[in-house]
Amino acid sequence: MSAPDRKAAAGRPGRLIYGAVAGAAVLAIAAGAAFYLATQQRDGSGQTADLVRVSVSARACDPNEITVPGGRRSFEIVNASDRPIEWEILDGVMVVAERENIAPGFRQTLSAQLAPGDYAITCGLLSNPRGVLHVTESEESRAAAATVGLRHFLGPLSEYKVYLVLQGTAAVDAAADLAQAIAAGDLETARRLWSLAREPYMRLEPMAVRLSDLANAIDPVADYLEGREDDPAFIGFHRIEYGLFAENTTDGLGPVAERLVADMTALKDRLGAFALDPTLLIAIPRDMAAQLAQGRIATGENHYARTDLADIAANLDGIRKVAGLLRSVVAPVDPELEAEIADRLDAVDARLAELGGDDGFPSYESVDDAARSALAEAFGRLAETLDRLHSVIGVS
Amino acid sequence: MTLSRILSAGALAFALGTTALTGAASAQDATLDLVGPLAQYKIYVAENTAELVANTRAFVEAIKTGDLEGAKALFAPTRTSYEAVEPIAELFSDLDVAIDARADDYEHAEEDPAFVGFHRIEYGLWVEGTTEGLEDYADKLMADVIDLNNRINALTFPPEVVVGGAAVLMEEVAATKISGEEDRYSHTDLWDFEANFAGSKVIFDLMRPLIEDDDPAFVAQVEANFQAVDDILAQYETADGGYVSYLELTDADRTVLSAKVNSLAEDLATLRARLGLG
Repeated sequence: MSAPDRKAAAGRPGRLIYGAVAGAAVLAIAAGAAFYLATQQRDGSGQTADLVRVSVSARACDPNEITVPGGRRSFEIVNASDRPIEWEILDGVMVVAERENIAPGFRQTLSAQLAPGDYAITCGLLSNPRGVLHVTESEESRAAAATVGLRHFLGPLSEYKVYLVLQGTAAVDAAADLAQAIAAGDLETARRLWSLAREPYMRLEPMAVRLSDLANAIDPVADYLEGREDDPAFIGFHRIEYGLFAENTTDGLGPVAERLVADMTALKDRLGAFALDPTLLIAIPRDMAAQLAQGRIATGENHYARTDLADIAANLDGIRKVAGLLRSVVAPVDPELEAEIADRLDAVDARLAELGGDDGFPSYESVDDAARSALAEAFGRLAETLDRLHSVIGVS
Repeated sequence: MTLSRILSAGALAFALGTTALTGAASAQDATLDLVGPLAQYKIYVAENTAELVANTRAFVEAIKTGDLEGAKALFAPTRTSYEAVEPIAELFSDLDVAIDARADDYEHAEEDPAFVGFHRIEYGLWVEGTTEGLEDYADKLMADVIDLNNRINALTFPPEVVVGGAAVLMEEVAATKISGEEDRYSHTDLWDFEANFAGSKVIFDLMRPLIEDDDPAFVAQVEANFQAVDDILAQYETADGGYVSYLELTDADRTVLSAKVNSLAEDLATLRARLGLG
């Protein structure tokens, strides 16, 4: 092929494409004829009786409004326009099913599993009005919605794994920043970074507590150690907190901070490799909410810095992440339970918001017993609701 | 050239027809082994959309400072991180239209006021030969890629869309890209291709440990097809890591590429059933 030809072709891509499409159409007609015959034969046996036929003209779909019962449905798309088209079923912005590059005069079929609800259908050019696909309740759709299998958990489990990796990385970075400030002897910066370093760890805590050896190295509280603050096992976040907020110095904290970075790195790696499963995913947010309700909120954990409300808010982030993922699993099966989980989460949020001010959360000392009880009760009700998930969506 | 395009388009129609009729070699139930690969894929996508935001910022800056040559040089490399995540574009169809739709999708083609995104800017830079008048398109592109990045981070990827995405994109390359129609003003299609193949292959690579024991021959065939594509693309690489104009692609290489893409589309279409996600 000569260069001038090539240049000329380049200047008119549209024409070339239409040439190719026309060529494709010729071949497609041959293929289509064979397909048409096959279809007709199948028509004879009645197998395509429920095929919904949609014709797409230059301007719109015909019919432009379709109603089908929920379940697996098949459509035959006929391109009655003079341009190649694609046809899509859209659930919001998400494509549920599509056929691309249907040549003019050609037809293609597609099948899709459709849950009840309203969908949009595209009809050729982007500027053409979209059609509506109504999918109604049916025996088939009810049966599909009631069946929860491992497959429904794959998205949520992988999304939670991503969350663990991202928060784990943030926790390691924040611990390293804290260690650096301590090594530099910068007390004020170290105090600020200590609070910041708690946040990603608290988001991970619902899962991190399952790895007890690391949790005991990262977050032991002096109350549970025989020698309290003088116990050699008193290391991790609270040992650093004790130095920064009770002894008011960074002296002697260097090795503790370095150990914290090493333990946090080990935690991140183990969480990334941990084999999550549906039973665990269901248990994690319930157990964390129950633990907060049954003791931690009453006593608090940050005895020297009194930043417990920020910890609890970060714990709630971690609970909310998993609960949100589980809501998507439970929604088609038990919408009332899904709504109740949302309400319970909002109630906890509201309680926490009442305790916060414009400058963030106040010292936990200023939170009286009544306020702590109310917050604990809100977490308790959340835990009770989350506890029902197992019987509704639990899979073996 | 025209003849080869007709043949490849014809081969495609045939391939699509057979793909729909060919069942999977071996179906099984979905397992928890998918969780790790799915998580890694999400991270791959998130890294790419973060890079897209950073690169688009520089691209937009070049346009808004009137740097025509700078903007032209950044067009193709900026697109690659978008093209790499195209296997899952059906999760954000509205933004796919806003970011990457072509003039043919609109009634008035290039003159249509709804025609925006990368290709509208491409039209301005290469055909109109100026950055003037592109500022609003640049701002909108920036806002749309930021929206995309935020949405990706908040989105739980449906496993069947991820696993099916590898084939969906290969089908799209075969149907509407191999003709050179995507980057018709700049002819930077080979940059897109490289990113499309890499984005499709990453899905295959992540799933490979779950299927190779069952069907090593299938895995070997897909590997060989990806390798053949890589070998062809490598011949068109420039010294600085970019690609020459799509017009330089020989008819022979286009024919081979077309055949490999169709094979990949057909083979990868069996992944869902092989992984219990049919």
